Amino acid sequence: MDLVTVNGLSKRYGGIVALSEATFGARAGEVHALLGENGAGKSTFIQILSGAVQHDGGSILVDGRDYRPANPDAAQARGIAAVFQELSLIPDLSVEQNIWFRHEPRTLLRTVNRKEMRRKTLALLEKYNFPALRPDQELRRLTLAERQIVEIAKGLAKDTRILILDEATSALPAREAEWLLKLTRQLAAEGRLVIFISHRMAEVRAIADRLTIFRNGSTVAAHEANAVSDNEIVTQMIGRHLDRLYPERVATATDSIALSVKGVSSGSRLSGVDFALREGEVLGVGGLQGHGQRELFQALFGATRASGTIELWGKPVSIGNPRQALTGKDGIALVPEDRRGQGLLLTKSVRENLTLSVIKRFTENGLLSRQKEAALVKEMVDFLRIKAGTPEQLAGTLSGGNQQKVIFGKMLLTQARVLLLYDPTRGVDVGTKGEIFQLMRDLASKGYAILFHSSDMPELVHVADRVLVMRNGRIAATLEGDHISEEEILRAAMLETKAA
Amino acid sequence: MSAFLARNRLIVLAYAGMVVLLLVTALFSPGFLSVSNMRSTVVLAAFVGIVALGQTFVIIGGGIDLSVPWVLNSAAIIMALLCGGQDLPLVWVMPLLLAGGAFIGLVNGIGVARFGVPPIIMTLATNVILQGLILVLTGGSPTPSAPALIQFLSVGRIGGFPVIALIWLALTLVATLLLSKAAFGRHLYALGTSATVAEFSGVPTARTTVLTYVISGLTAAFAGMLLTGYSGQAYLGMGDAYLFTSIAAVAIGGASILGGSGHYLGTVAGAMVLTILTGLLPALNLSSGALLIVYGAVILLTVSVGSETFAGLGGRLRRKEG
Ligand SMILES: Nc1ncnc2c1ncn2[C@@H]1O[C@H](COP(=O)(O)OP(=O)(O)O)[C@@H](O)[C@H]1O
Ligand SMILES: [Mg+2]
Repeated sequence: MDLVTVNGLSKRYGGIVALSEATFGARAGEVHALLGENGAGKSTFIQILSGAVQHDGGSILVDGRDYRPANPDAAQARGIAAVFQELSLIPDLSVEQNIWFRHEPRTLLRTVNRKEMRRKTLALLEKYNFPALRPDQELRRLTLAERQIVEIAKGLAKDTRILILDEATSALPAREAEWLLKLTRQLAAEGRLVIFISHRMAEVRAIADRLTIFRNGSTVAAHEANAVSDNEIVTQMIGRHLDRLYPERVATATDSIALSVKGVSSGSRLSGVDFALREGEVLGVGGLQGHGQRELFQALFGATRASGTIELWGKPVSIGNPRQALTGKDGIALVPEDRRGQGLLLTKSVRENLTLSVIKRFTENGLLSRQKEAALVKEMVDFLRIKAGTPEQLAGTLSGGNQQKVIFGKMLLTQARVLLLYDPTRGVDVGTKGEIFQLMRDLASKGYAILFHSSDMPELVHVADRVLVMRNGRIAATLEGDHISEEEILRAAMLETKAA
Repeated sequence: MSAFLARNRLIVLAYAGMVVLLLVTALFSPGFLSVSNMRSTVVLAAFVGIVALGQTFVIIGGGIDLSVPWVLNSAAIIMALLCGGQDLPLVWVMPLLLAGGAFIGLVNGIGVARFGVPPIIMTLATNVILQGLILVLTGGSPTPSAPALIQFLSVGRIGGFPVIALIWLALTLVATLLLSKAAFGRHLYALGTSATVAEFSGVPTARTTVLTYVISGLTAAFAGMLLTGYSGQAYLGMGDAYLFTSIAAVAIGGASILGGSGHYLGTVAGAMVLTILTGLLPALNLSSGALLIVYGAVILLTVSVGSETFAGLGGRLRRKEG
């Protein structure tokens, strides 16, 4: 019998239908993948399951009994926990304090039993073979990936029968992502149900027993994983046939150098980087996570201090802050790593976000022209096909792919023609990914120069014209033409690390 | 129209609160709605409103200005001293003191934006320093009375309207333009919503922060001069009440104290609410201690009615019904 049975589940946000008559069924002891484009309703579905929001219609049965949790604690009481896309951790607390938050082991005097907490934390980390985490480390010192791992530990800390992972691998580097996949298999083997959301087909293939596909808030199909092809899945997800994910690689690079970087260093993470990015080129930046990619992008954008020489379109520039980077036709724009923390004002509208960097352009005699602004916003929303009810919808309520499109739009409205894209497809569905790659190629052919980092190696291999591989804060290799392959990237990224 | 109401729900609430309070007050003291009484209520509210103008900008930007009491007081006392009861010196004294207020704001702003001093500490420090300076300067002796021109600005009338109400109206217009119609306003809301996102978007975050404190210094100094005209004299401690009222007016007006939201139009209602309240309470014939308690409680209530929590609760209730 199914552990979870969902029928006719519906949820509206004002005029927006997030879920309409969705069905779902999953058994104990399986890994069940939930697939769908951004905005398909996956997150809403699991928010309902985990008690974070309440549904308007339909029924959920867990163990054959009616289930309608009023809050996450009620869900917890029935053994259901979720690891959300939007992390819920408290920066000022330590790793272990976060893991046990509001469920701390107590002494007889009802004070927190620190020893016991430490013991239980270490036991948990060991049992599931967690990547190195120090229980006493303050959360604010951790990277996005490490926080995601703490979030997973928190989900496992209680007696959880159903664990839901919402795009948990999207923030993880390759090795940790692999660990997580093993973990889900281990949990399923223990008789638990893992509901797993991911946009990476390879992962789904590796671990899922069954899968359910959502489109526009409804269930379109459920399959045994080994009885359906990738193509069928993608077609059902996007409701049409996707010819190809990666656009054809047409060489549009010219001889003119858009960005020249010489001896750029920053702290201990970036030590003497040299390269040149040409007009019309998509230049990939790869390598193992934490080898200076983040620092390189931030240094070029003026978000961290750096030394060395940077030239834009042949002119030496000194970029002290993002404002200087974004200024003028010779500017340089960034799609940042942390969409929600660096890219978007979540509580402001799509319109305000789109025009934030260029708001001065809509002023006449110091006063804003709302018409001018609205016209450009509409143009950009149409051009990028941003799915929002109206431009006044709050950016925080958009799905991940549409949030990313808003950030792209914001960047494209500036006049910068050197674009820094830091992992722009993280947590973005295949359909939107395809759109983003196509957009990158179109921009390149219009004379933009693009520096492109991705945590997903196949993207570098299929999209970039050349790939810089970083190791220990330097460029370890530059791959071109036939030499661009996952093997070559890995070889360049790892070889000397081993020797050292 | 309904979209407008939804977006500015908290501001609308503040005005609704103001109207309710007016009616309640009229019940307790029937003379309250008379023209002359309304006129004096608006005049009193104008002082709160002008100080709270700068405070609104600072709070929307994610900061707070605790230096308003002694910026106000310093401007009042120095003006009285420099003018010696004469109108003529005002020509240079007024610009000088406005510049002085702006300078204090500049110091506050640079401390916060460039050196990362928490706004509470920074502005509290300038407040105390100014207090000390004024005490040294006056030695506690009384100051000459206010020049006639200043008295005209604060208690005079033009065509039946209090001059200060007209000044307040003009300032409201300017503030509204800055917040709703200028690039500065967009930058300010972005800054208060997320300083990191604003920085990554190319918003001049430091300059915007500094400007808010400069505006606050300007309005506090201006209010100090006007207030001297109203009381006929400058005296030590005359700004103290404005610390609390300026912040409360902003909060009642619907701004989040954490920044990123709110509008001066809301603050205007907030200033009115606070002033009507001070008019209502004596009519209840309570002892002065009890008065303060009721005053505080009502403000707490009003602010929480306007706060996000309450708005969220209202939203939840509505959804349950629907
Ligand atoms: N709080 C909200 N307010 C308004 N719309 C929302 C809210 N949350 C989600 N939505 C909308 O509901 C739809 C489904 O979103 P979501 O469940 O996040 O999709 P997915 O996780 O599959 O990408 C989207 O169109 C999204 O914009
Ligand atoms: Mg989602």
